Amino acid sequence: MDKPVLELDGISAGYGTGLVLQDLSLTVDRGEVLGIMGRNGVGKSTLLKTLMGLLKVRSGRLTFSGHDLTNAPSYRVAAAGVGYVPQGREVFPDFTIRQNLIMGNLKARNDDIDAAMDLFPVLRERARATGGSLSGGQQQQLAIARALIGRPALLVLDEPSEGIQPSIVREIGTTLKQVSAEKGMTIMLVEQNMDMITQCCDRVVFLEGGRIATSVPAAQLLESPALLNKYMAF
Amino acid sequence: MIRTALSHMKTESLVAGILLVVLLLLPLGASSWLLSDLSIYFSYALFAASLAFVWGHCGLLCLGQAVFFGLGAYAMSLVTLGMVPGVEGMVSTWLGFAAAIAVPALAAQLLGRFLFHAQGLQGAFFGIVTLAVAFIVERLFINWDFVGGLNGLMNVPPIVLGLNGDGYELWEAVPLYYAALFVLVLGFSVLAALMRSRWGLALKAVASHEMRTKSLGYDTAHYKTTAFSIGAAIAGLAGALFVVQFGFVSPSLIGFGLSAEVLIWVALGGRGMLVAACAGAILVRVLESNLSSVFGDTWLLLLGGLFIVSVMFLPRGLVGEAIHGLDRWRAKRRKGGSTPRGKAVERLSPSEYTAR
Amino acid sequence: MSSVATIVLDASNYALILLLIALGLAIIFGLMNVINLAHGEFLMLGAYTVLSIQMAGGPFWLGLIAAPLAVGLFGLVIEEVVIRRVYHRVLDTILATWGLSLLLKQSIVLVFGPGSHSIEDPISASVMIFGAPYPAYRLFIMAISLLVVTATFLFFFKTRIGLAARGVIANRNMAACLGINTRNLDRMTFSLGAALAGLAGAVIAPLISLDPHLGLGYLVPAFLAILVGGLGSIMAPVVGAAGVGVTENLAATFLSPVYAQLIVFITAVLVIRLAPGGLLGKKRRQT
Repeated sequence: MDKPVLELDGISAGYGTGLVLQDLSLTVDRGEVLGIMGRNGVGKSTLLKTLMGLLKVRSGRLTFSGHDLTNAPSYRVAAAGVGYVPQGREVFPDFTIRQNLIMGNLKARNDDIDAAMDLFPVLRERARATGGSLSGGQQQQLAIARALIGRPALLVLDEPSEGIQPSIVREIGTTLKQVSAEKGMTIMLVEQNMDMITQCCDRVVFLEGGRIATSVPAAQLLESPALLNKYMAF
Repeated sequence: MIRTALSHMKTESLVAGILLVVLLLLPLGASSWLLSDLSIYFSYALFAASLAFVWGHCGLLCLGQAVFFGLGAYAMSLVTLGMVPGVEGMVSTWLGFAAAIAVPALAAQLLGRFLFHAQGLQGAFFGIVTLAVAFIVERLFINWDFVGGLNGLMNVPPIVLGLNGDGYELWEAVPLYYAALFVLVLGFSVLAALMRSRWGLALKAVASHEMRTKSLGYDTAHYKTTAFSIGAAIAGLAGALFVVQFGFVSPSLIGFGLSAEVLIWVALGGRGMLVAACAGAILVRVLESNLSSVFGDTWLLLLGGLFIVSVMFLPRGLVGEAIHGLDRWRAKRRKGGSTPRGKAVERLSPSEYTAR
Repeated sequence: MSSVATIVLDASNYALILLLIALGLAIIFGLMNVINLAHGEFLMLGAYTVLSIQMAGGPFWLGLIAAPLAVGLFGLVIEEVVIRRVYHRVLDTILATWGLSLLLKQSIVLVFGPGSHSIEDPISASVMIFGAPYPAYRLFIMAISLLVVTATFLFFFKTRIGLAARGVIANRNMAACLGINTRNLDRMTFSLGAALAGLAGAVIAPLISLDPHLGLGYLVPAFLAILVGGLGSIMAPVVGAAGVGVTENLAATFLSPVYAQLIVFITAVLVIRLAPGGLLGKKRRQT
């Protein structure tokens, strides 16, 4: 068994003086597609932001591929091989699609850009359009392609299905699955959309009260609605 | 939270009280030379308090506070020199004080109406605009012959107790000292009372979370404009108090240089507490008059360096830090060191304010 | 006719110098969210670099090259020692850079004295334009300002590092999450902004009388220019500097310098009141 690609050991973090994550520990294996679920406000986005160095780690340790990234600046986390697709996409509205992709990897060559556009053909069709002129689904695809162009070892996505029509959600799910299979890329997927979770994930963890409440194989999820009731229902 | 705020205030008031007693008793033992220096510094202290109110309490970093100090000084001078067109006969000190308060307040009101309207200028840009105001107003006064241009106005009369420039003239050291101290305490108390009022609490909320306060239905622009005007009025009063002692007003009182100095006093003293700001002003001035002969030109260099260091590492200021330390020590003694205390200068958020 | 040409040339001259200064301010603010109140003193340092080289017997042209290099290097050091430690607190960056400006002024007073100095005109020739003689050196200033401003824009709009920098301006956190080394960009930006100010100081040195307090007179209109032009856009200073520079210069020619400043200030406040984001203003992400 390989060493896990990502290890979070007793992480506490949050905004201002309050802690959202409290002593959270989690390991993610290489090549695994991990779904992260839980009610609103349990700390799913906070977890990803903390991983990306956007929030300060108050205590605990964060290790990625053998590098200690606890409180490393975001650009070092990215350089270590983590690709981030944030909630709300955050594409650069004034940049063209091509420029948005280059932001994902300043050293990208033309064939890298081509390869990224191959993942989502709509990006090639509208290559000269600005990020802000795209629909929500197209922006989401752009944000994913932009993260992938940096060839990350770990891709983290924050609710990629949010506010997007189902056909594009399926397309995104298929692409993620395919990329993970071809490149052996690890994926962490914060998601509320069950279809997306069951389509992509190998394993699902549920967050509650700022820590991991339980961890189950994704296949088991469909068989046990009780889990969903326990951790997702209001 | 409220308890810590209260106990904090208590230390602050305690320090203010002790300082006041010392200052009241000082004429018993001090030379008249020191007293007359100090009574001038009292006007600087009041000036510093006005900036601490505007900047520390209301979050409006004003880089041109001297504009209001200068306007007050000029207003007082023009009145008592009988230079106000149309009412040359009116040379009352009291009218001078009234003008010295009203003119800067009106100027600030006008400026505030423009700058704080709607979204208004973000905090930082407010600072730059006030800097521009200081720069331009100074130039304007240098080129305005009516107020004496670069030379300014000389022979400004002292405080005259009569209704219209007649009666007892206040120029002896001890009476003047007490008069200046009285004005300082008066202005200080007004600001302190305002800061503790509900209105002051709302202002604090505006300073810490403007958008949130706005969404709670507060007209934040109005709050800021009023606070800015009050700060200007007190600065104007300080300017008047200065000129009746100094007897001379020039454009250097209204511009960039003095604005810079007062900011240093307040930053070194402590922007968060009025008494710290006042003490900062007096301390820096006392040190300056004693040390500048030793250090020469390097004194300003030293002061500037100290200022940067305090901005970087001591946001509470030197005096503020000392009062804060004293406060912690008292709290520890009172409670046997049992209650853990965070930052003592906790800001009341608007939600907490409305919850009260 | 000839005097009209001179007036137009003088106004453009001033606007271009203002643009050099405002551009540095704008990129430092845009990228780092730092309001650099020492920018006027960076300009002053540039002018004094030329003066030192003149005093050492060196030619003006050497000073012209040395000034942006020296001030840029100085900016790099300041970024590392001061700015980096306060840059997440905007109000404190104002205070720190403002303290720095006092410090620099006083240092110059200590080294060069409080009095004023002058730089010899490096090109004394005049060129006939529309039948009127116009100082060749002023034409040179316009040329070099245009050149540097164009180069700066090409850098920001045609290179990948420039793209990354604009990305940081638009959304600092996201750019960092994509691997853009914001730390290095901050260093580069502050240094570049300082160098632009240093260059501006060097080119205007022969036209003005040098004293330690000359910075503020350029800082204020440059700030008004970026406020009027709009924050968070690299193009904004162009509009702002043109507006402020031409207005001020024309008003100074026909009225007096004091009224010119007053008019510019009042106009600027009116513009800010009517269009709070500036003429080219964009909504910036607040991070």
